[in-house]
Parts: sequence; C-alpha cells; structure tokens
Amino acid sequence: MGSGFKIVPDPKLSVSSLKLVLLAVMLTAASSSELHGQTTEDGIMLSKLKYCTGVFYTYDKWDHYWEGPLYRSNGNIGAITTRTISYIGNYGLTDHINLLITVPHVSTSASQGVLHGQSGWQDSSFAVKAKLASVPIGRMGALRAIAVVSGSIPMTKYTPDDAPLSLGTQSKQISGRGTLNYLRRNGVYLNGSSAYTWRGNVQLDRPSYYTNGQLYFSDEVAMPNVFDYSVGGGYRKNDTTLVVSYSQHQTRGGGDIRPQDAPFVSNRMNDSKIGGTITIPLPRVHDLQYWVILNHTLNGRNVGESNTITTGMLYTFDFRRNGSKR
Amino acid sequence: MTTTMIPKKKTKRTILKLLRLLKLRTPLSLLKRPEMSALLGLALVALAGCGKTIRSTETLTLYSAVSADAKAGTWSMIVLTGPTQVALAAPALASDPGYQAELVAIESAQAAITPDQQAAVQYWAAGGALRWNEELRQLVARQDLPPSPNADGSYPAPNAANPFANPQFPFSNPPYAARAYSYVSVAQYEALKVAWYYKYQYNRAAPFKSDSKIKALMPDNQVPSFPSEDAVEAGVNAVMLKLLFPTNATEIDALAAQQQQAAMIAGRATASDIAAGLSIGQAVAAILSARAATDGFKAASGNSAIWSQLAATATAKGEVPWISQDGPPRPPMLPLFGAVKTWMMQPSDIINERPAPPPGTHSLAMSGELGEVRNAVNNISSDQLATVYKWADGVSTPTPPGHWDFIAVPYITGALMSEVRVARTFALLNMALHDAGVACWDAKYLYFNPRPSQLDPSIKTWTGLPNFPAYVSGHSDFSAAAADVLGYLFPSGASYFDSQAKEAAMSRLYGGIHYPSDISAGLTQGKRVGEYTVRFARTDGAN
Repeated sequence: MGSGFKIVPDPKLSVSSLKLVLLAVMLTAASSSELHGQTTEDGIMLSKLKYCTGVFYTYDKWDHYWEGPLYRSNGNIGAITTRTISYIGNYGLTDHINLLITVPHVSTSASQGVLHGQSGWQDSSFAVKAKLASVPIGRMGALRAIAVVSGSIPMTKYTPDDAPLSLGTQSKQISGRGTLNYLRRNGVYLNGSSAYTWRGNVQLDRPSYYTNGQLYFSDEVAMPNVFDYSVGGGYRKNDTTLVVSYSQHQTRGGGDIRPQDAPFVSNRMNDSKIGGTITIPLPRVHDLQYWVILNHTLNGRNVGESNTITTGMLYTFDFRRNGSKR
Repeated sequence: MTTTMIPKKKTKRTILKLLRLLKLRTPLSLLKRPEMSALLGLALVALAGCGKTIRSTETLTLYSAVSADAKAGTWSMIVLTGPTQVALAAPALASDPGYQAELVAIESAQAAITPDQQAAVQYWAAGGALRWNEELRQLVARQDLPPSPNADGSYPAPNAANPFANPQFPFSNPPYAARAYSYVSVAQYEALKVAWYYKYQYNRAAPFKSDSKIKALMPDNQVPSFPSEDAVEAGVNAVMLKLLFPTNATEIDALAAQQQQAAMIAGRATASDIAAGLSIGQAVAAILSARAATDGFKAASGNSAIWSQLAATATAKGEVPWISQDGPPRPPMLPLFGAVKTWMMQPSDIINERPAPPPGTHSLAMSGELGEVRNAVNNISSDQLATVYKWADGVSTPTPPGHWDFIAVPYITGALMSEVRVARTFALLNMALHDAGVACWDAKYLYFNPRPSQLDPSIKTWTGLPNFPAYVSGHSDFSAAAADVLGYLFPSGASYFDSQAKEAAMSRLYGGIHYPSDISAGLTQGKRVGEYTVRFARTDGAN
C-alpha cells in the first residue's frame, strides 16, 4: 500500500495520504521486526504465513496553504483538520511476496466559517510487495531492492467536489513503486523509494467545471498522474526505529487554485515534507509494536502546510504454528 | 561491487506461484525478469491511464433547420424600434465583377483548406448562437471569482476602467452573469432579426448555390446570404462580450474572426455578405451597449453608507439584520441590483411582484424554519448531497443562469431551429433570468434577512454560502423563471424543467443555505416573473 497513495484531492488530505504511504513503508518494517537475526527494514519482508495488523490514527492540521504559488491563510476555513483511522494488514504470502491492505475512515472539519465537514470511508488500497534482490555488502550489511504494485479504490460515493473538505479524490489509482535500502547490523539504516501513480478520471455531480484556464463542458475530470520519492535514514535495530525522512510529491499536470477559489480535485498538488518515525517494542508483549510518525510540510503548491502525527500499534500473528502465535 | 542476484530465481518462482494463485494468465515471457513487477505495474497502469482526455467544448450535433423563418424580420423587437433602425444598402448584383471575384476567392479557399480550418468549420457548423452561448458560459465561469481580502481585512473592488488590475473586472457573480447573458442574447437576437429583414429584402443566393464550384461545407440553412448571419453573430458577440468581459478581448476577437472565416470557407458567405453582417452586428451592439451604460448597474455595488443603512432599516423594524459570514466580512453583493433596468417588467412590476415578508427573525415560525434547516443538513442523504453539488453553481461556474442555458441546449438542437429562432430562445430565457435576478435582489435587500447559519451558528453548510441576504432564494427564483419560459417554448420538456427547478431550489435547503420559505417564495416569484417574458413571446410574431 505504501505506494499508491501520494495523491490526494485536497490540501489537507495530502498529508494524510502521505502519512499513509510512510505508514505502509513502516508497516513493512514493523513486520520484519521480529527477524532480528537478519537484516531489516524495507528490504525485509514479512515472512511466510505471518500477518501483521493494527489500527493507526492520524491527526492532520493546517491553517496556511499555497494558492498556486501564493502562501496564505483563509478566514473562510481557518484551520482544516483531518482525522483518519486506518485498519492495516500485511500478510506474508511467501518470504518474498507480501500482500497489504489499508482501509481508512476519514473525517474533516474547518475551524472557521460555515462549511460543514465531511466524514466517511475513503479509499481502500491493496498492494503486492515483492523482494527482488538482496545483495550483501561486506559482512555487516545488505542492500535490498523491492517493488510494489498497488491500487486503491473509493469505498463510498463521497464527493470529490468539496475541497478542501472532501475525503479524497474519488479516483481509482494504480501505482508502481521501487525501493532500495541498506541496513547494517549495527542499526545504520538508509532508504530511498520512488513511485509513479496513475489516476483514473473522476466524475462530478455537475455538468461543467472550470480548471486550468478553461471551462470543461463535461462531468468527467482528467486526473494528472503523480510522481513521488522519499529518502531517509537513521537507526533500526531490535524492533526499535528512529528514522528521519524527506519526501516530495509532484503532480504531473493540473491547474492552480484560483484566487479566493476553493481547491479543485485535479489541481497540481505538490509538496515537500520532512518526517520522522519512531517504533518502540512494548515491554513484555512480544510482537507488539508502538508507532509514532510525524510529518511537516516544508513547501508546496495547492496544498496545505500541514503537520501530521500518526500513531498506532501493530501486532504480528504467526500462522505457521497452527493459528495465532500467542 | 559484485551484484549477485541470489534471490532472483526464487523470486521468479514465488511470483509465478502468486499469479497462479490469483488465476492470472500472464505470458511467461513477462515473468522472466525480476523487474516483472514493474512491468505488471505498467500494464495495469495503462489501463488506469486511458481515456484521460476530456473534450473542453460542448458536443453539439449538426442539423438542418426545419424552417428558415423567412418572416423573422417582422418579429417584435425588444430594444430596437424596428429592423430599419439599422440601415443596410443593397448588395452588388450577382453579375458584378467584384462579387464574382468574391466567389472565386471562396473556391480558392476551399481548394486550400487546412485541417485547422476544417475543424473550425465543423465547430461553427453546429450553430453560431449555440457556440457563442458556450463561450459566454466560459467567460462567466472564468471571471466568477470574488476578490481576495486585503491584509487589513478590507476588500478591493473590480474596476471597469482598469479591468486587468487585481481583482480583475468583472467579478461575474450570479447577478452580473444574469445581466450579461441577457445583454448578449438580446443583442444577438435583435441583430439577427435585422439581418433576416434584409436577407429577404435583397434575396442574395448563398455562394454554394450561385457557383457550382463552391461546396457547402455546413448544413444548408436555406436562407439568403446577404448579410451573413455568421458575421452578424461575430460582430454583435465580439462587441458585447468585450464590453462585459474586457480582459478576454484577445480570445473573443479570435473566435469572431474564426467564425467569419469559417462561414466563408464553408461556402455560406462572401466577403461582402460578411462585411454587411459585421456592420449590422456592431451597430446593434452599440445600441445595446448604450442601454447597458445607463441601466443602473454601475451603481449596484452601493457604498458603505448604503450598506449601513440596510442594516439600520432592518434593525428599526425589530429584525436581526443580515451580516456577512465571509472571513473577513465582505460588503454585500450588489445591494442595488434590484434597481437595475429589466427587459419585460416596469419598475412598478418589480414592486408588485415583491414577495410578502419572511417570518420575523424572532418569530416562532422562524425558529421552526431553522429547525427544518438543521434537520435537512444533519440528516442529508448521499443523493441529496449529490444534488447540492450538482446545483452549487458557486465560484468559478457559469452560475445558475448559465446552468439553465446549459439545460436549454439539447432542447434547442433537438427542435432543429433556424439560427434566428435559436437566438430568440436564448433571448427569452435570459431576459427572464435577468428579470428574476432583479426581482430577487430587490426582495433580498428590502428584507435583508439573515442566513440560517447566522441565526443558528450550529448550522453548517455543505457548499459555499453566498454573500447576500437569504430571502428569497436566488436559485429558486432563477430556476422557476427559466423553467417557466422553457416550458412554454418546449412543452414536451415542461415537467422536466419544473422538476429541475424544484430540485435546484431544494438543493439549497439540503445544503443549509436557505430556509423553506426562501425557497417557496423564490419559486413563486420566479414563475410570476417568467410569465412576463412568456406573455411577450406569445405575441411576438414568431409563433
């Protein structure tokens, strides 16, 4: 799942999706946590017949945003808050192929003005993650390559036409991701990942819409695709993680938010963010991990300057031993 | 560095296993490399990526009119005193060498036609009045942007004398748009009636009829070619649109030039047909421009003294006055638009058609209405929410009047109307929409009634809240007037128009924008206003 997501309809959502992505990445990491003996992190897969699952809560907020290139606030919305509760699962089909799922429920609200928030099930995503290669580097480390193909699909008919309060874009998406990472036994960890996401057209409830310099006489909106990448590094050992990362999303087309107008579903939404991830193994409860992920938007275009915190716990079941491990 | 791809084989095996599991039939060759995941991704992706191109122009079917409406030169005028208010000298005879040279020029142009020119001919062949209405909706949506606030919380105002400054002139909000649609449509209709008068006075055959070497590249509209109706439209629309949307002059001029050239290349008009049409279009546009300059619109924004007085008047009546809920608070939208000149109504008619006052802001009836709004907003269904967004018609849209022009389009094309009758349809529809806007604005600022979200801040709206008083609902007023006129013109669609009007009106209750009484009074007023136009249409000579 990590892959598909960078794309979000509204400024405020971009954050939540981003964190979902990170989340997915970490998820993978989490699953590998029990494999202390080997190398870890993204390169490491959840091993066969294990299921790593949990619920994450994400709180995302911004009160400034970029209207095209213009950095501003807006008295009609104040701060936009997005709360997401996601069910997450990662199943080890084999040691080299993992299946991942995310099911998010999203609620939005504005602190000023009269606009009603939206709430509901957003887009579920499914991913197949495959480890392509693992190359030992010296005795103490390894470089791993992974590919992820993922797709996401709206679970409900929520409107994409109420940005920045819409739950999402209502676009079906397919994404291809490649990840390279290096982990040393002493915990040194480096990761680089990049994805391209194809987004299907979106249908509005109205017969025309204005974007990118013209009125389209159609209810169908072409969604530009999205490119993203992230680089990160830090420490990761014995179920404990402390990683910082930098990421960028680039929408490959789309118009700017017009002056004093609301965002539009196909806007060119770009951002760069810094983030951090902490995982802590819970004392005495084997296979249960506590997660905290933080993100801050450094710069953007047609997105909110959001700060995001995601937190949750993941537990790993092992079906090789005739059911749950514990 | 030696890159030993140790897991390659194993990966391939597992992927194959996975694919078998998923019952996917993928060519084995695809799986021979570990990068297959990427390839598979690309393939899936190609599926998702297809069909991305969205046509930006309206899809219109070409048709031949069932009647040329040869008598349209006698149909009632609206602003002009009669067709001869604009003079047009007789054209040269067919035998005239100058005219013969014009025909030869068309032959040459047809022989050298470019793909772009063919596309332009196809575009305009669907009907100039329809295409210009499409452009008008385009311009309204483009200019439908409220000014951004200044740092001190005040708002700059668009300035017609300096249209390119920030904020651009105009802000084509619903009243501005209603007036614009009506001026352009009426000017075009008047100009085409003048053109029809001269067409049948001079009876010059179309080029493709008088010269067998000229092909008809557009449907034969069966009308004499002098003056060219296409050039009339180009002339009248270019002047009116540049008056109303001055920052778009380049685009407007290019369209006008393209329409004239398309008419010529299509074998429909010669250079002298076009020159005559252009002169008529421009002359009629000048008459309508003069009317626009003095119709009261320039004063419609009011000033801070007027804004304060509106609140003071409501307070003196014991009512809670409307306040802007924009952040920061914005001056009310066009408070004196209710005094702008109408097409089919006298100022006394506007007063006569005023709705009775809304429930008092402190009354039991009003708290009941607030309860209804709360209930509608908090228990909205997904269908109702879709209706809210269908009819939002807020910022960056053609506005509710434009939405009704859009609704009329398939009925117009389906009726196989002559060009002058298409223009009549748009003129009647948009006169009623403008008059409804004026009547509605008169009531809004007479009563200065607060929005539901002002009286009860717990009420949140599902779409943007307009920055003007609630009573009566503009959506309801516009829609009922439009449905009334369209129902008269297209009786087979009357119940559909009516259902659309009610849906548009109710969308404002679902959205938390309006009380039930705003909607019922707006629908009633709109229908009554629409009848003024229908009464004119019954006796205008076109039936």
